[in-house]
Amino acid sequence: MKKYDLLTPEGTRDLIFDECAALRSVGEKLRQIYTSHGYSEVITPGLEFFDVFNNKSRHYSQEVLYKLTDGKGRIMVLRPDSTMPIARLMGTRLRTATLPLKLFYNQTIYRANPKESGRDDEFFQSGVELIGGDVMRSDMEVLSIAAEVMQSFDAAEQRFEIGDSGFFPLLSSKLGLKEQELDDLREYFISKNYPALDEMLSRFGGNTDAEALAKMSRLFGGKEVFAEARKVLPEGAKPILDRLEKVFDSLCGLGMSGEVTVDLGFAGKTEDYYTGIVFKGYIEGYGMPVLTGGRYDRLIADFGVDTPATGFAVNENAVADALLKRSGGMLTPAPDVVIWADDDNIVNAIKYCRELISKGLTAEYADLADRDAAREYAKTRGAKTLRVMTTTDNMEEPLE
Amino acid sequence: MNGNKAIRIALTKGRLEKDTVGLFEKMGFDVTELKEKGRRLILNIPGENMEVVLAKAADVITYVELGACDIGVVGKDTILEHGGKYFEVADLGFGRCRFALATKKGLDFYGGVGVKTVATKYPKAPLLKIADGIVDIVETGTTLKENGLAVIEDVVPISARLIVNTVSMKLKKERIEQLTDLMLSQL
Repeated sequence: MKKYDLLTPEGTRDLIFDECAALRSVGEKLRQIYTSHGYSEVITPGLEFFDVFNNKSRHYSQEVLYKLTDGKGRIMVLRPDSTMPIARLMGTRLRTATLPLKLFYNQTIYRANPKESGRDDEFFQSGVELIGGDVMRSDMEVLSIAAEVMQSFDAAEQRFEIGDSGFFPLLSSKLGLKEQELDDLREYFISKNYPALDEMLSRFGGNTDAEALAKMSRLFGGKEVFAEARKVLPEGAKPILDRLEKVFDSLCGLGMSGEVTVDLGFAGKTEDYYTGIVFKGYIEGYGMPVLTGGRYDRLIADFGVDTPATGFAVNENAVADALLKRSGGMLTPAPDVVIWADDDNIVNAIKYCRELISKGLTAEYADLADRDAAREYAKTRGAKTLRVMTTTDNMEEPLE
Repeated sequence: MNGNKAIRIALTKGRLEKDTVGLFEKMGFDVTELKEKGRRLILNIPGENMEVVLAKAADVITYVELGACDIGVVGKDTILEHGGKYFEVADLGFGRCRFALATKKGLDFYGGVGVKTVATKYPKAPLLKIADGIVDIVETGTTLKENGLAVIEDVVPISARLIVNTVSMKLKKERIEQLTDLMLSQL
């Protein structure tokens, strides 16, 4: 039998030293942003019943879930997302909570990616959910917090992109497509598969909705996009565009101009999940969005409480990787002092170390019996000085 | 947004690479390095601020999906086989072939109620009787003919596609749209 005792499963990795420091620093920064806006933390189980992730308005396909069974043979999964467990919480312990409710989380999630895709199957995700508030006000609050989060990453280049899930259903509803065709069309629209999109829509001749769909998939960029869209959109879709433009202008007013963009070629993967404004955040050096979010007004009703909600999630590992690349891996500070003591002075060394720490320095022992080895150790750690404590010696050795 | 940002394109080694290099030449790019590449896998197009990465078909998809390359040229067959998240913005028209079901000539493939075995590499499987048919790429059909096999059904038409990383599309919009338009205009 082949042993896998030296490997971690595909899609997982150990994080060490600076990698941990980078991840924790991102998590801490986000926590501060969330709590400063009055959001309260929830932690949900890593294990959930499969049913939580298999609802009418949103479901995860079996392929992406890590599954196991409990003692009664029921199917459980490793949490692939935190929003659905929070919707479950809304249907149970938080059923009678005063709305609006502002929640945040910071926990690992698990997704089984295709083999050799190079993506993480396990990663830290943090985010907020604003539940039960007025739609316009909540949208602006969550968007502005998401924008603040993006700015906090301090990336070389970043974009905050908004869209609306309402265009696609509106423009596709009157084309009389069968369910499978509609799913195909949605896929072409989202993936900007222009050849397939054009071919399918050409069937409808000069139908204005079809022409608008073909154009909308291609419309993304800055402010100019709205004027372009106005030329092709039917009257019925204009209110959605107006609302989106207002949001765009508001974000520019919040100091995001030049960073905020719009993509009108957005649609939810299924008709039922996103129900309004959606948004994504990109940073240079990472090939996928690091932040995704949007309005989901139907999900919580699947858990028995009909209340609107919006929120976003951040891939902390992705942001931490970018931070690490930029910093060149110097995130863990070196100790100010390393202390070495001979056999008779171990307790004295401990006392001295405590004294230094109480003064705000970082100090550590060289847990080695040999003095020269201790000096080498202190150098390796990048310490500024080595404190030697023996019965005859009590001195500081500066280190280069 | 900077109009001349460096861009990295992944090409599927082999026939699609040759066709794309031909297209670049028509577009007026200096392809000397691409033609005299030796064993190098990352090549420059002077004056275009563009890097070309040569890779296996499946790797082109991985590179573009993860953002190691901004855009890629890959066959529709690889896209269908691997899926993934990227934009599939253009059909380049070349690299055209059929993805088809073939069997031994004269075999009534759909006849009867027995279970049929389909292999995915020709031409040996049906001839060695370990499969009743094969589903694979058919370019000229010569290999099939010489081995007494015949196409009985086309599954899907295949050609080279231009795929784009979802973040690059947004961060390098102008540059990518310019390049795509230029490529399409010279097909």
